[in-house]
Amino acid sequence: MLVSWRWLSQFVDTRGVDPLQFAGKFTTTVAEIDDVVQWGFGLRDVLVADVLAVTPHPNADKLRLATVDLGGRTVQVVCGAPDLRVGLRVPFVPPGVTLPSGITVRDGEVRGVASPGMLASEKDLGLSDENAGLLALDGCDAPAGTPLHEAIELEDVLYDVDNKAITHRPDLWGLYGVAREVAAMLDKPLKLFDLSLTLGAQLPLAIRVDAPDACPRYVCARVANVVVQPAPVNARLLLRRLGTRPISNLVDATNLVMLETGNPLHAFDARFLRGNAITVRRAQPHETLTTLDGQLRHLQAHDCVICDAEGPVALAGIMGGANSEIRPDTTEVVLEAANFDAPTIRRTAMRLGLRSESSARFEKSLDPVLADVAARRFLKLCQTWNPQAKIVSHLADIGPFTPEAKPLSVIRTTASYLRERLGVTAAELSDAWLDACLTRLEFQVARAGDALAVTIPSFRATKDVKIAEDLIEELGRHYGYDNIRSEAPQVAARPPHTPPLKLLERQVRNTLVHAGLTEQVLYGFDNEDARARLGLHEPAELTRVAVRNPIASAHTHMRRNLLPNLLAVAEAGLVQGDDGQPARKGLNIGVFEIGRVFVPERSDDRGLPPVLGNGTEADVAAYTAGMEGEMLRGVLDARLGTQPLPLQPVRLGLVFAERLGGGAEGAKLVFPAPEVTHRLLQQAIATLQHLLKWLGKVPLALETAGPAASAGAPDAQPSWRSQLGFDLVTADGETVGYVAALHPRVRIALDQPAQAVFLELDLAGLERAPAFKRVNR
Amino acid sequence: MSELPDWQIEIDQGAGRWQADVEGAETLEALRSLEVRALGKAGEIPALMKRIPQIPPLDRKAFGQAVNTLQARVAAAIELRRQVLVDGLIAAELTDATFDPTVGALPLKLGHPHPLSTVQADIEAIFSSMGFHVLDYPEIESEFDNFEALNIPGWHPAREMQDTFWLDSGHLLRTHTSAGQVRAMHEFPAPFRAIFPGKVFRYEATDASHEHTFHQVEGLMIDRKVSVGHLLDSMRTLLSAILQRQVEIRLRPGYFPFVEPGFELDIRCQVCAGEGCSACKRRGWLELLPCGLVHPNVLRAGGLDPTQWQGWAFGLGLSRLVMMRYGVPDVRLLMGGDLRFLSQF
Repeated sequence: MLVSWRWLSQFVDTRGVDPLQFAGKFTTTVAEIDDVVQWGFGLRDVLVADVLAVTPHPNADKLRLATVDLGGRTVQVVCGAPDLRVGLRVPFVPPGVTLPSGITVRDGEVRGVASPGMLASEKDLGLSDENAGLLALDGCDAPAGTPLHEAIELEDVLYDVDNKAITHRPDLWGLYGVAREVAAMLDKPLKLFDLSLTLGAQLPLAIRVDAPDACPRYVCARVANVVVQPAPVNARLLLRRLGTRPISNLVDATNLVMLETGNPLHAFDARFLRGNAITVRRAQPHETLTTLDGQLRHLQAHDCVICDAEGPVALAGIMGGANSEIRPDTTEVVLEAANFDAPTIRRTAMRLGLRSESSARFEKSLDPVLADVAARRFLKLCQTWNPQAKIVSHLADIGPFTPEAKPLSVIRTTASYLRERLGVTAAELSDAWLDACLTRLEFQVARAGDALAVTIPSFRATKDVKIAEDLIEELGRHYGYDNIRSEAPQVAARPPHTPPLKLLERQVRNTLVHAGLTEQVLYGFDNEDARARLGLHEPAELTRVAVRNPIASAHTHMRRNLLPNLLAVAEAGLVQGDDGQPARKGLNIGVFEIGRVFVPERSDDRGLPPVLGNGTEADVAAYTAGMEGEMLRGVLDARLGTQPLPLQPVRLGLVFAERLGGGAEGAKLVFPAPEVTHRLLQQAIATLQHLLKWLGKVPLALETAGPAASAGAPDAQPSWRSQLGFDLVTADGETVGYVAALHPRVRIALDQPAQAVFLELDLAGLERAPAFKRVNR
Repeated sequence: MSELPDWQIEIDQGAGRWQADVEGAETLEALRSLEVRALGKAGEIPALMKRIPQIPPLDRKAFGQAVNTLQARVAAAIELRRQVLVDGLIAAELTDATFDPTVGALPLKLGHPHPLSTVQADIEAIFSSMGFHVLDYPEIESEFDNFEALNIPGWHPAREMQDTFWLDSGHLLRTHTSAGQVRAMHEFPAPFRAIFPGKVFRYEATDASHEHTFHQVEGLMIDRKVSVGHLLDSMRTLLSAILQRQVEIRLRPGYFPFVEPGFELDIRCQVCAGEGCSACKRRGWLELLPCGLVHPNVLRAGGLDPTQWQGWAFGLGLSRLVMMRYGVPDVRLLMGGDLRFLSQF
């Protein structure tokens, strides 16, 4: 979000503060600034000019001659702008001036006519990319000849605040909230809004809120006698540099007030509100609405819509309808300044892929108090720009929210608790400073000795500040985290616990690397493309964990065995070479991976605290004692609804692959000599027994039909396992894996003539395996 | 002066022949076979003794002495010749200039640990030395561990911010190693400190700096009276050890539902020493990790009383750390399995 320093300075006295220097402090105190942009500098030689006469250019159809008044002197220049007309007030760039855009204006001739100077567009002046016409200085009262930077608001510094840094701060989505933080940082007062209005008698509109959960507050007023025209130049340029396109005075006023207060507004053309009624309700089945961007939107029951007597006229909090938008001939508007429920707006905006400036703000849980403020700011601005405009209604204020109905929350804590969490003493962060800091941020502090009762202002209370820890953040960031003494924690000296499986993993990894293999860390997803190409599959009855929202069509399932991904890597290595060895006959590759696989059988782990799994009601009550609201509901729901997690054993997978020479039948039908397969199998078995020796385990027995398998063991008969191989059985008689040659059907599907053998085993089973055989005494 | 007897002439001639043969032996092997032929048990010189019966009786003593003398002379000549040959071989070996270091190599092969494992092992060693448990938790998780327990209720935007892979079973692929926080609190009695490294998953498009699968290390310390001051000290100490240099750190406000207060931790850019350069986008600081004091609701979910116990936590991007350490330009290389890349580590 962009913040204008110039605009902000209308609310806080920032004299003597260099915004470029201040940006760093803002980042560490409030929110990260991605970029600081200087806007509207380098234009001090540009003057205000009034167009007195326009005549055709004798030698060019598209050019004209403008005679302009520069205050006391007139000049005739050539101008190509299509909107040039008598009475227009525009910027004039004298000859010899170089503009920020790089243009140097020359005192020369254009198509044979002298042109000592130039009339400028926004783009010419480097103010925006707008180049369709001249910058019209509407609303600028300075006499002709005045330097432009004295006549309109130029020379601004913009902070580009990282939106992700303020997702939890609805108050910072308006300039006023940012100004409040800056005022607190500078210890300067924050200027209050002037919210006084002269209101009409009665609103000729019937307002109903039928979806009070979606719309806590709906503030509404009707304004007559408005004239749609461009907004004053300062407002237009402000919108431009904040990234919003100026449209007309009415629409611009809604946008400016949104940027200022943070509360989005919407203005309807009163002519198109059928039946003079507004209802806020959930959408009905099969209802549609064409939004301002011309898109037909199919609504669902969850969406909140603003309706007139006949149907939807706006998608609440997201975008207005095309049927009631402000047009050039609009004379009467109905203003909406509402508060909408954040999850409702977010869900609809996400579903429709329609994120607007408005929805971005409502999603943050705006303060309902703002709706009234924003309505008044708009009406005020509307009357300032349209002195003839009349508010013909009162300010309707419908919905469940009223300031009285929702008393402000209070946090009770102690100053010493807040200090202890920060790690500061009372000498460093005094009671007086603490109270003053919170007060500057508009918290109300009531103190009784060390005890504090801190009232949360409404604009921080919607979700941001709830508990004492939130106050620690307020104090800490304004005190300055850099000012906190770093202090070594005093901890009990205890040997750390490392699970045995983790220790085993480290040993296996180190041993295999020393044995010449390359370690792999691969995706937890299977690759369906590779599996299909090579015919890799588990027996049909052995299912895999399915992903509901796969990121790619190849990643629909979680791996249940390591071998498929590992084989694909080895195959690629045989094509590309390995370790500086070229990819030619005899290239031998050894790769391994230690990682989890996923077996859709219920484990004894539900992903819940043990107390929720098997505690008594009393245990559960004790566990949930301090919890409330959403958290308590979430915990209790989880207790009922959570299914056991699938098994996620950690496995070792290993592949030795060797490239064979090409054959008469082409790459695919090369059959290795039995000695090659035997040698590779021996390589795998020798590596395994070397590993076991290093781990201090009894060598695994190689059996052709093993006994009962461990829970984490790989599947016994996948398509890639040839009959030439063995189950791996521990001295306790548990099958923990297998070693085998690649099945010939898979092998001949490889891209390269090659032979491969592999090994896959359950590390937990290996960890359980005994270190010695029983000795009979 | 009588004429020399025939046997004497034969022995003298033999001596000359043996001398010539010995001097003609060009290798130790030739010399050895000559030695065997001349002096061995079945050698030609010992065989002369068998002729004693044919020697006139008066000459027999002289004949025996002459054979012995011949045997001694030939043995001495062989020994002398051997010394010459050995000296020559030693000199040749010492002055060998034919070695070409660029040609040929022993077939000794060492494998390659994955860079993620190497960096993870370094981090585990550092934390282990400071009393942190090194734990490993499941990659498929419950919504409870990944969200609810971390103070992220169902409607919370954080559930969308970190877009999640959901499984048909209703479980999910953990979006952060923080999912282990509440597990650890239930597994170990307070106080304790632990790290849990591992794979995490985000439903997002991949490019040079984004992967749907990457690695993190979670750090968690639970104790009494834990403060921001403790967090500062711990992070400075640990990050200095991990990055193998004294680092300057700063905290700025950051929002993560499971910590309060929450921070983004920056380290002073080492490329420009804080002056501002392209590496730190002219900020002088590099964003490194999110951290904070454990939110009271997370402690509650962990079965701990927040008035008695507090904690700090951080989440370190292991993949990013590997990229920083080795200058890896594309995160997809880490899990791409390409041996041409991995065999360089």
